[in-house]
Amino acid sequence: MESTTKQSPTGAVDQTAPGGPARPSERRLAASARGPGRPRTRRHLSDRAFALLLMAPAGLFLAGFVLWPLVRFIADSFFEISPIAGGPRIFVGFANYAAAFASEAFQNASVRTVVYTLIVVALEFTLGLAVALLFSALGSRSSVFRTIFMYPLMIAPIVAGLLWRFLLIDNFGIVNELLFRAGLLQSPDQVHWLSDPSIALFSVAIPDIWLTTSFITLVLFAGLQNIPGDVIEAARIDGARYPRLLFSVIIPLLRPVIAVALIVRGIDAARAFDIILIQTDGGPQGSTTTLSLLIYRTMTRFGEPGLASAMGTVYLIVMLAVAIAAIALIWRPGGSAK
Amino acid sequence: MNGLETRGKTRIVLWALLAAALILYGFPFIYLLLTSFKTPLEAISVPPEVLPTQWTLENYVSALSREGVPAALVNSVVTAVISTALSLVLAVPAAYAITRFRTPSGRVFIVAALVTRMVPTIAVGAPLVEIMRNLGITDTSFGLALAHTTISLPLSIWLMASFFEAVPDELDEAAKVDGCSRLQALWRVVIPVVTGGVAVTAIFAFLASWNEFLFALLLTSVRAQTTPIVIANFQSQFGLDWGGMTALAAVYSIPVILLTLFLQRHIVAGLTLGAVKG
Repeated sequence: MESTTKQSPTGAVDQTAPGGPARPSERRLAASARGPGRPRTRRHLSDRAFALLLMAPAGLFLAGFVLWPLVRFIADSFFEISPIAGGPRIFVGFANYAAAFASEAFQNASVRTVVYTLIVVALEFTLGLAVALLFSALGSRSSVFRTIFMYPLMIAPIVAGLLWRFLLIDNFGIVNELLFRAGLLQSPDQVHWLSDPSIALFSVAIPDIWLTTSFITLVLFAGLQNIPGDVIEAARIDGARYPRLLFSVIIPLLRPVIAVALIVRGIDAARAFDIILIQTDGGPQGSTTTLSLLIYRTMTRFGEPGLASAMGTVYLIVMLAVAIAAIALIWRPGGSAK
Repeated sequence: MNGLETRGKTRIVLWALLAAALILYGFPFIYLLLTSFKTPLEAISVPPEVLPTQWTLENYVSALSREGVPAALVNSVVTAVISTALSLVLAVPAAYAITRFRTPSGRVFIVAALVTRMVPTIAVGAPLVEIMRNLGITDTSFGLALAHTTISLPLSIWLMASFFEAVPDELDEAAKVDGCSRLQALWRVVIPVVTGGVAVTAIFAFLASWNEFLFALLLTSVRAQTTPIVIANFQSQFGLDWGGMTALAAVYSIPVILLTLFLQRHIVAGLTLGAVKG
């Protein structure tokens, strides 16, 4: 991707550095040959070493504070560990993995994580696309409203979770009260959003959707602006009505943008922790215990770091596999992304 | 505009739709603000009312004077500032090297930064507890800032790489022809061109730390506790103090919401950069 787009047009070079050997390719040649003819540069390092030097601090940081903890986390999954600091560690091979896969809690939490992610991503995409199309249809005068629409993005998930718990709470929640006044409910106590196990997983997803639908809207709106006007004009002349225009022209053209937005949101939704924890703490009857909550509990409350690490390792591997597969599908090198 | 715009009567319908969407979208936070001005008792009255019958600052006074709250607000600022500074110091040179020199190591690096985003927080957070203990920085703002940087650094590298991509190579070349060393070219010529990008990156790094919960839960207990933890504790520690919770949530959220409104153009650029360029 980089090497093709970045080769600079010759004209621009001549403007900035008349006559100088300034083109990247020549510079590299000069650097590797170390020949005479570039007397002004005091070069002790090759470009490659210099680049490495600039990347080293960030690389060391990530190695020390991401990679090393991860290695330890994965290593822990092969041990039975006493939850007390400094307690005994016994190597147990794959026993923790066997226990994880056999545990019903783990299986259920995995299903819930998938369902939660699908609910969040599907609703965010539908709403986000609808609002993005609305903004495009209204044109430049909608810019103020686009700004207002963005505000939940900045709110902490913990605040959003608590806020929605307050809005949906059984006895004095405003949502039920307003639905009741609007005649949609027979009594303000009719829907138990967060205490009815059959709908709680959907209810806990609402704040997540509220918080980040604007992200999808912004990304899709920016993508819509990049669709060439003549493509839409041509479809209109061919007599395409709006639904057909949407499904046969707009969505296919937006495909790469849609895919990136969905992957980013899918990863975040699958990792959701605080927003669920604060609303239901995984309840009622475990109906909102997703993997991140189960792993956290197994580690801290049930005092089984080894088992929690095995569950977390499986979760990590699946996340990476799904995300990398998804990215590989969109980023087909030299594909239709542009 | 590109032909997606509509004219005539449909436009009025669409404006009405937009207004409805915005009211629905804005209502939760407006209700939070309105509740924060009710008396603590009215905040949990049955049935609830939208508007306060009696406007009062009682919740703000009680929430902000509560033990631990002022300290937590200070901790949130200190942690976020340290983490933002650290992210920028590490990300700017790395992103520059990745976009300018295009070495294989750079390519590996940027993919690794992307992969880091997919790691569940608990898988890093749990081992960090012991690592921080060994380093002697458990329950310190600095230790928490290091943990937050694991989230903001990969994001910062991606954002900064996109901004450096937009600066033509010729600029650095010209600087070198004029006698700058490579480091001087970066510091004196290229960075001044991308200050806008640095600002956007700083905002996102700041927000990542400001809103973070799980690391703060695992790595702090008393001294370095940040505000999200204190907000979460309002429900257990103080019974159901919804009034106080809404007041503190408002205090914590309004500065970042205002930031969005003032800097929206830049923030939109940052949010949509990677995704739209593909």
